[in-house]
Amino acid sequence: MNPTNSNPSPPRWATRLLRWYCAPHLVEEVQGDLEEEFDFKVKQVGIARAKLEYIRNVIGFIKPFAIRRKKYLSTKSSTMSMFTHYATVAFRNVVRQKTFSAINIVGLALGMTCCLFIFLWVGDEKSVDNFHANGSQLYNIYQTVARNGQTTGVYSTPSVLIYQNLNAKKKGEITGVNLDDFKQAVPEIKKINWYATGYELPWGHSETFQVGEKIQKFDGSRAGKDFFTMFSYPIIAGDANAALHDISSISISRKMAIFFFGSPKEAIGKSIRYENKFDFVVNAVFENITSHSSLTFDFLINWDSHIKQLEQASPIILTTLELEENADIVQVEIKLNHFLQSRLDKNDPEKISVGLKSYGEKYLNSTFLNGKPQEGRMIYVRIFTGVAVFILIIACINFMNLATARSVKRAKEVGVRKVVGSSRFSLVSQFFGESLLLSFLSLFVSIALIQIFLPFFNALASKQIASPISVPSYWAALIGMALFTGLIAGSYPALYLSSLKPARILKGTLRFTNSAIWFRKGLVVFQFALSIVLLIATIVVSNQTSFVQNTNLGYDRDNRILIQLEGELNPKYSLFKERAMKMPGIVMVDRSTEAPHAMGFVVDENDGLKNTLNGDDAINWEGKPKDASVGFKPASVGFDFIKIMNLKVAEGRDFSKSFATDSADAFMVNEEAVKQMGIKNPIGKWVSAWAKKGHIVGILKDYHTNSLREPIKPLILDVKEYEYFGVIIVSFEPGKTKEALASMETVCKEINPNYPFAFQFMDQEYDKLYRTEQVITKLTNIFAVLGIAISCLGLLGLVMFAAEQRTKEIGIRKVLGATVTNIVNLLSKEFLALVLLSFLIAAPIAGYFMYQWLQGFAYKIELSWWIFALAGASAVVIALITISVQAVQSATTNPVKSLKVE
Amino acid sequence: MKRVYLGEFEELVLLVVAMLESDAYGVKITHEITDQTNRSVRLNQVHAALHRLEDKGMINSKMGDPTPQRGGRRKRIFTITAFGQNTLAEMKTVRAHLWNLLPSSMKIVGG
Repeated sequence: MNPTNSNPSPPRWATRLLRWYCAPHLVEEVQGDLEEEFDFKVKQVGIARAKLEYIRNVIGFIKPFAIRRKKYLSTKSSTMSMFTHYATVAFRNVVRQKTFSAINIVGLALGMTCCLFIFLWVGDEKSVDNFHANGSQLYNIYQTVARNGQTTGVYSTPSVLIYQNLNAKKKGEITGVNLDDFKQAVPEIKKINWYATGYELPWGHSETFQVGEKIQKFDGSRAGKDFFTMFSYPIIAGDANAALHDISSISISRKMAIFFFGSPKEAIGKSIRYENKFDFVVNAVFENITSHSSLTFDFLINWDSHIKQLEQASPIILTTLELEENADIVQVEIKLNHFLQSRLDKNDPEKISVGLKSYGEKYLNSTFLNGKPQEGRMIYVRIFTGVAVFILIIACINFMNLATARSVKRAKEVGVRKVVGSSRFSLVSQFFGESLLLSFLSLFVSIALIQIFLPFFNALASKQIASPISVPSYWAALIGMALFTGLIAGSYPALYLSSLKPARILKGTLRFTNSAIWFRKGLVVFQFALSIVLLIATIVVSNQTSFVQNTNLGYDRDNRILIQLEGELNPKYSLFKERAMKMPGIVMVDRSTEAPHAMGFVVDENDGLKNTLNGDDAINWEGKPKDASVGFKPASVGFDFIKIMNLKVAEGRDFSKSFATDSADAFMVNEEAVKQMGIKNPIGKWVSAWAKKGHIVGILKDYHTNSLREPIKPLILDVKEYEYFGVIIVSFEPGKTKEALASMETVCKEINPNYPFAFQFMDQEYDKLYRTEQVITKLTNIFAVLGIAISCLGLLGLVMFAAEQRTKEIGIRKVLGATVTNIVNLLSKEFLALVLLSFLIAAPIAGYFMYQWLQGFAYKIELSWWIFALAGASAVVIALITISVQAVQSATTNPVKSLKVE
Repeated sequence: MKRVYLGEFEELVLLVVAMLESDAYGVKITHEITDQTNRSVRLNQVHAALHRLEDKGMINSKMGDPTPQRGGRRKRIFTITAFGQNTLAEMKTVRAHLWNLLPSSMKIVGG
C-alpha cells in the first residue's frame, strides 16, 4: 500500500452498495456526508481505519429510512387520479353514446377482421411447402421450351433427364436415367427425386386398391426412393429410408392404412393389390398430407415401378434436387443444361433448357413468363397484404371522421380542461387513451368474429387454417394491430382537438378549414367509388357464372353419370352394356375415351413448323396444306355416343352398326373442324388419326367440349369400342336417379368385382369447371357488402358532422316554417352529389376490369348499361338511407332545443 | 393539540441543529455532538434522527450548494422550524419547572 497516497478514496464496493440500496433522493447527501467523514477520519486515524469506519457507516445506513423510496406525494398521486379520471370519462363517453360507440367499434372491428383474415390467409399461403427441414437445399427443375418463336415454361422435366432408351418400343425396355451419370455431370447434387401424380387429368384418375374384401379408390403419385429422406413428411410407421426402396414398395397415408388395415402399425409389411394387377408391399405409413403441402397424395409408388410397369400418370414430372449446402445455383444450372444438351437431339427445332427454382417458392411462383417462373400466386399475396393494410387504414379514417364529427361536443370539454390548466400532453394522451380503449374493444369483437367465421372462411378459401388463438405470436400481432389502429385512428382527434385555442372554442362554434373538409369528402368519395366497383363486379361475376351454367352447351348433361373405364369393364364392355340396358331406370349406355364435358387433349396445335420438317402430325386429311396447324380434339367413342349425348348432326349421318365399315372406317368431325381444315364437301373425304385411316361420314353441329372459357375447337370422333381407357356414359330416366344408381352398382359389382363402384354426375362435374368463378362470386359478394358497410360509416360520419354544425341553422329554418322534407333534402343533397361523383369515377374503372375479366371467357355476357345503373342506383339508395338516419333525426328535433343550446 | 414527543437523542440533535444555525448538516452535527457531549455518535443515527425530526415538523431542510470537499456533492442543510423552537422552549420550561420542585439536596447534585 502506498502510504503517501495523496488522494485516498473509500472502498469502491461499499460505495456501490450504498448507491444500490439507498433511496435516490437521499444518495447525494448521505454519500457526501460519508465521504466527508472519511476524509476527516483519514487525517485523524489513517487510511486503513478510515476505510473500516466507512464500511461500518455504509452498513449502518441499511435502515428503513434510507432504503425507503420517496413517495411522489404531489405529482404521482395526481397523475394516477388523472388517469382514473380519463378512464372514467372515456367509459362514460362510450356508454353515453351507445349508437355512436357501436358504429365506431363495429366499423373498426370489421376492418380488423378483414385485415386479420387476410393476414391469416397470407401466412397460410406463405407456409405452403416451407416445412421441409432441408428446404433451403431443395430445388425444382423447370423446363423452358422455345418453339415457333414462342417460349413456354412449366415445372416439369424433359424426358431425356428422366429416362434412358426412350426409343425402345416396349415399355419394359425403357429405364430410368443413370443416376451416376447425372451426379457426375452435376456433382453438387446429393439426391434426386422424381414425382408424378397418378390422378391428374387428362391422363390420370383415382386408382383402385384391394386388401381382402376391401376395395377402394385413392389418389396417389409415384416418387423416387429418396422421397421421404429429402422431404419432411412425417412417417408414423415403418422406415423413411426403406419407404420406396424397390419396385414393389408402396407408402400409404394414415387414412389409407386405417381404411385397409385398421392402424398404421398393422399396415407395415402387408401386401396391397393395385388395380388388380400388381401386389405392393407397404413399407411406410405417413401422416395424412396437410394443406401446407402443394403435393397431395394418399399413396406413393416407387419410381421404377412407374417407369417399368405402371400404365398412366401425369406427363408433368416434377424433379427436385437436393444440393450440397452452399452450392452455387447458377453453376448447377449451367452444368445441368450442359448435361441436358448432351442428351438432346441437336436437330430438333424445339429448344429445351432447364432452370432451378427453390422448392419453397414453387407454390407462389407458378406462372411462367417467357419460360421463367413468375409471380403467380405471389401476386395475390402481395395484393391482399396491401388490401389488408388498406382496409385497416380506411377503417381508421372512418373512425377519425366520426370522432371529428363529434369534436364539436368534445371541444368544449377540451376548452374547459385547458382553462383549468391541462397540458397539451395530457390532452393528447387522453384522446389516444380513448381511441386505444375503442380499438381494444374492437379487437375483442373481431377476435370473436374470427372464431365464428373461420370455418366459413376456410370453406371459401379452401384452406384448413386452424384457429390461431393459442399461438403467442398471433396475440403479439393482435395487440400490435390494436395499438397501431388506436394510434392511427386517435391521431387526428388527439392532435387536432388538443391544439385548439380555448378562448375560441369556448366563445363559439368550431370551424374547420376547407381543406380538411375536402380531404374527408374525398375519402368518402373514394370509399364509395370502391364499393361501386365491387358492386359492379358482383353483378357481372354472378351473371356470368349463371350464364355459363345455363347456356345450352349443345348436348344434354342432366341425368347422366360417368364411370371410369377400368378393370373388366373394357374387355367385357358389350356384356356390361347389354346387362345395364336391361336394368330399371337406365336409358342408354355408351363410352368415350374422354369425359365429354371436359375434353382437355388437343393435338397438332401450333406445330406448323414441325410438320414441315418431318410431317408427323397425328391428324391428316385430304388436301391438307403443308404448314397446317389445326388443333384437334380427338376422341374415340361408342356407336351410340351421338344419341346418348343428344348431339345434332348437321350433315351426313351418325355412326351406325348397320354399316359394317363404321367401326374401322368412319370419322365424324364438327363444323369448326370443317371450317379450319378448309375442305369443301367434306362427306366422304379421307382423314386419318395416327395409324387409322378412314372417311368422314357426318358433320356434327358445334357443341362445347369444355368450359366456356375456351372457344369451340375442331373435334374428330371415331368408333373404338376397345380402347382400354376413358369413361362409360350412362343416361337414366329423369327422376329415377336412385333406381338407376342401384342398377349400375349391381351391374358393376357383377362384371367388375375387383373395383369399387364409383361414378360422377355429369352436370355436377361440369359445374366444377367453374369453381374459381364460384369462389370469386362469393368473395365479391362479401367484399361488396363490407365495402358498402364501411363506406356508409364514412358517410355517416360526414352527415353527423354536418348536422352538428348546422344545428342552429336547422332550428332557425324550422322556426321559419321549413318542413321535415325540406331539411332532409338540405342535408342529403350535398352528400348525394358525392355518391354520384363516386359513381362517375367507379363506372369506367369497373368497366375496364370487368371487360378484362370477361376476356377469359370465349362465351360471355355483355357489359350492358343496366349493370352499371343497378350498381349506381343501389349505392345511391344505400347512401340515402344512411344519410336520412341522421337527417331525419336532426330535422325532427324540436327547434326550441336546438336553438337553446349555447 | 396533539403533543409531539421528542426522544432524548432527538432533542440533542434538535438542539445542535438550532445551535449550528445555517450550517447544520449530517457530518457537522455528528462531530458537534461528539465534541460537545463526548458521546460516540454514528452518522446513520444522526441521519435517522434528522428524518424523524423532519417528519415531525421540527426542522426543515434544503439542499445546499455543492462543495469541492465532498466530491462536489451537495449537503442537506437543516434549519429548525418555529414549531421545533417552541417545542424546545417548552421542554426546557417543563424541565426548569421540575428542577425547581426538586428537594434542595438533589439540586446540588445537578448543579
